[in-house]
Amino acid sequence: MTLPRSAVRVVNLGQIPYGRALQVQQHYVRQHLDSLTCPHDQRPNTLLLCEHRPVYTVGIRQAPYPSEEEERLKGLGADFFRTRRGGLITFHGPGQLVCYPILSLGCFKKSVRWYVCELERTVINLCSRFGIKASTSPDTGVWVGDNKICAIGIHCGRYITSHGLALNCNTDLTWFEHVVPCGIVGKGVTTLSRELEKEVSVSETTQPFLEAFAEQFNCTLSFQETEGQKE
Amino acid sequence: MAMGTALRCVYANFPKTLSLLPRAAQRPAYWLAWKPCVPRSFATASRLSSALKFTDKHEWVRVEGGTGIVGISNFAQEALGDVVYCGLPEVGTKLKKMDEFGALESVKAASELYSPLTGEVTEINTALADNPGLVNKSCYKDGWLIKMTLDNPSELEELLDEDAYEKYIKSIED
Repeated sequence: MTLPRSAVRVVNLGQIPYGRALQVQQHYVRQHLDSLTCPHDQRPNTLLLCEHRPVYTVGIRQAPYPSEEEERLKGLGADFFRTRRGGLITFHGPGQLVCYPILSLGCFKKSVRWYVCELERTVINLCSRFGIKASTSPDTGVWVGDNKICAIGIHCGRYITSHGLALNCNTDLTWFEHVVPCGIVGKGVTTLSRELEKEVSVSETTQPFLEAFAEQFNCTLSFQETEGQKE
Repeated sequence: MAMGTALRCVYANFPKTLSLLPRAAQRPAYWLAWKPCVPRSFATASRLSSALKFTDKHEWVRVEGGTGIVGISNFAQEALGDVVYCGLPEVGTKLKKMDEFGALESVKAASELYSPLTGEVTEINTALADNPGLVNKSCYKDGWLIKMTLDNPSELEELLDEDAYEKYIKSIED
């Protein structure tokens, strides 16, 4: 029996400040919370795509990043946000495809461990479409050798996901030199452009990424115009 | 994880084994939770019993001496993966049933925790700061998360007993 595939709508927010994107995510999370009694095929699963201006973000493990560290990083010209996602410190900036899937895991599989693994596989799938051999490691994320090409950090409450992943397309990697990315000492970062030795932009990565996501999550994607910034 | 699996098998067989348990002082601590000398079924357990009750969000609560001990179930810890950090509330925090009271981090995912009862946090498991993996290795015993008062003991009746919880997770797994 072929199970019906879940529907996910794609909303491309374009270049948007990180703080604003947090608000947009919460809007879609609330949509899910309001529809918890609906059958699974009517849940408002949404894939948000965006790009941010330079920003460092940290997750629920705040202790390694006291206010002095926050001020130091802001002094470099970046924003700084403390969030409720998993994962340690990471950087977002131009040239990085950021994806926030706001999904009800009840439409897929009620396991956070499964979900994160599927995100990793989606990115590995995407990399292979570009001829790049990427892999996972004991540290969550997607790697090309010892260099991380995509960071992952998510939040889950009542099986509704938020936050997501950040794939380096042609990001300026010097921003990562000011931190220990994701708290992992001794490893580096890379981009699609660096691996292919040619410019690969966020816009040319978007379609293959969406195809990889639809394939990995076995879902159908629909597209809608960027909604007005609600609330 | 093996212990967790053994524990689930025990749940399924527990009513039959109740009468077989010796009253020996030396037994794994988790057996003490079922007070085997008390011949009553879980469904009618009073709040003095230390039977496990579960929420549909996979937290468990056990009452001991009027205090509720809260943790997450084996199903939950398996679905999370290796826990690397436990974000727990401060002692004195007042919680209503279903309030978010913290989060567990695993595989770069922060998963919210929901209070099974209304009450005040009296203790948090400080062992988890250095050893968050206790939540995986010993989710019903050493991996407990918080202790709280029971401001509304009748809420226990609304929770799932072990049989009902086992049925519930089977229905999720399809």
